[in-house]
Amino acid sequence: MIALSGIKKSFGKNEVLSGIDLKVNRGEVVAILGPSGSGKTTLLRCINYLEKPDSGVISIGDFKLNCRQHGKKDVHALRQKSAMVFQQYNLFRHKTALENVMEGLVVVRKVSKAEARERSIALLEKVGLGAKLNAYPSELSGGQQQRVGIARALALNPEVILFDEPTSALDPELVGEVLSVIRQIAEEGITMIIVTHEMGFAQEVANHVVFMDGGVIVEEGEPKQLFRYPKEERTQQFLKRITPEAGYSI
Amino acid sequence: MGATFDFSFVFQYFIKLLPTIQLTLLIVASAIAIGLVVGFLVALPQMYNIPVLRRVSQVYISFFRGTPILIQLFLFYYGLPEMLKLIAVDAARWPALYFVILTYGLHSGAFMSEMIRAAVASVDRGQVEAAYAVGMTGPQAFVRIVLPQAFATALPVFSNLIIASLKDTSLAFSVGVMELTGKASTLAVVSRHLIEAYISLAAIYFIVSFVLERLLRLLEQRVQKRGLASL
Ligand SMILES: Nc1ncnc2c1ncn2[C@@H]1O[C@H](COP(=O)(O)OP(=O)(O)OP(=O)(O)O)[C@@H](O)[C@H]1O
Ligand SMILES: [Mg+2]
Repeated sequence: MIALSGIKKSFGKNEVLSGIDLKVNRGEVVAILGPSGSGKTTLLRCINYLEKPDSGVISIGDFKLNCRQHGKKDVHALRQKSAMVFQQYNLFRHKTALENVMEGLVVVRKVSKAEARERSIALLEKVGLGAKLNAYPSELSGGQQQRVGIARALALNPEVILFDEPTSALDPELVGEVLSVIRQIAEEGITMIIVTHEMGFAQEVANHVVFMDGGVIVEEGEPKQLFRYPKEERTQQFLKRITPEAGYSI
Repeated sequence: MGATFDFSFVFQYFIKLLPTIQLTLLIVASAIAIGLVVGFLVALPQMYNIPVLRRVSQVYISFFRGTPILIQLFLFYYGLPEMLKLIAVDAARWPALYFVILTYGLHSGAFMSEMIRAAVASVDRGQVEAAYAVGMTGPQAFVRIVLPQAFATALPVFSNLIIASLKDTSLAFSVGVMELTGKASTLAVVSRHLIEAYISLAAIYFIVSFVLERLLRLLEQRVQKRGLASL
């Protein structure tokens, strides 16, 4: 289980996260929605300490970290609990698809090369890239790169995978292939937190939806509930804005 | 002033100059080696934005890039022994070669630091974050992800710096180091076959830089795609 409590983060005078509390159960898929600048990316980045929160407590599984008092080792340990899939894929550009997936296993988890190789090949096959093992990122389409990114995250067998708008940099015709891979791993019971603007997808795949605005969680709940009967006015406005044709239909 | 042109001297001088290539290459190699270490140290405060050191390294870079290397050579050759006297070190008898290597090393260090900084900056921040996200430590991310790619980006600049420093070595003669130019000038003056001596000299520089350039180009092609992993 993942629990965030009282996560605060400011950039200079700009308070971006004003005390976030969130619980995610094992195997749950949580979708985070919200307007641009509401702090979704920052929250995700705080969970694996790519951004250091000013205060709050992050616990993942049996590991707990207080953002005000910890050492470098704790950050390192925290990062091992999660994996991240980036909006811009962020593949290692001098490594092949296979090497990208193996890298964390070999360097961080100290798995033998042979075993890492075997596991990585299996994962790349799973995301439909069995034929592209030795391709460099520059030789792959955006959708293929993102699927390598997902395999790289899966390889670490983390407690949770964090997705930051995994399809928003993709050409529309490539969005589907990535979403279907995410859908597939969601069904396997892997815990995921996904920031997304794909409302249909969020509604279909997520067990829990969180709506953020202005650095706070405005409302959260089951997808059906939240999409159909949003309680808060800000949520209603947001949903109306992104689904202009009167009302959302399932 | 000179004797009549005689082509056979060109050959004769060419052969005579060959052994001296060693000394010139020694200066180049030492300067590059020192330059790499110094350049890395000077680039660090810039890359990590360390307040005071950053200023210091900027002044260092501006000085060595902005003043003629000949003047730097004189400053070190004549000035350094005076400074060392103050702390009771007698440098008056040190070979001129030491000063030459030191000056060229520090000089190329300024250019190397710019090269390193630009090359490291060219690796996008996202890849470093991805490395952290898979659980790598800072040094692991630097060595495994940033360095190989930065190296590939830096190589063409590095080649240029090597060739430039090869040509700069011709100034070492002005503090009495008998490298290629020094040797050629002496031959020229003694025999009065000036043109012939300088033709041989030019030919030697040309051949050495041509060979270096080719070798570096080969290395570049290998490193292009895969960075250090291909070495
Ligand atoms: N490194 C940073 N330095 C300064 N300000 C930042 C930094 N990162 C984010 N911000 C600010 O924090 C706020 C929230 O940004 P964040 O990227 O978390 O929003 P978001 O909800 O992910 O938006 P989007 O939907 O556009 O991705 C924005 O006002 C942004 O300008
Ligand atoms: Mg964002």
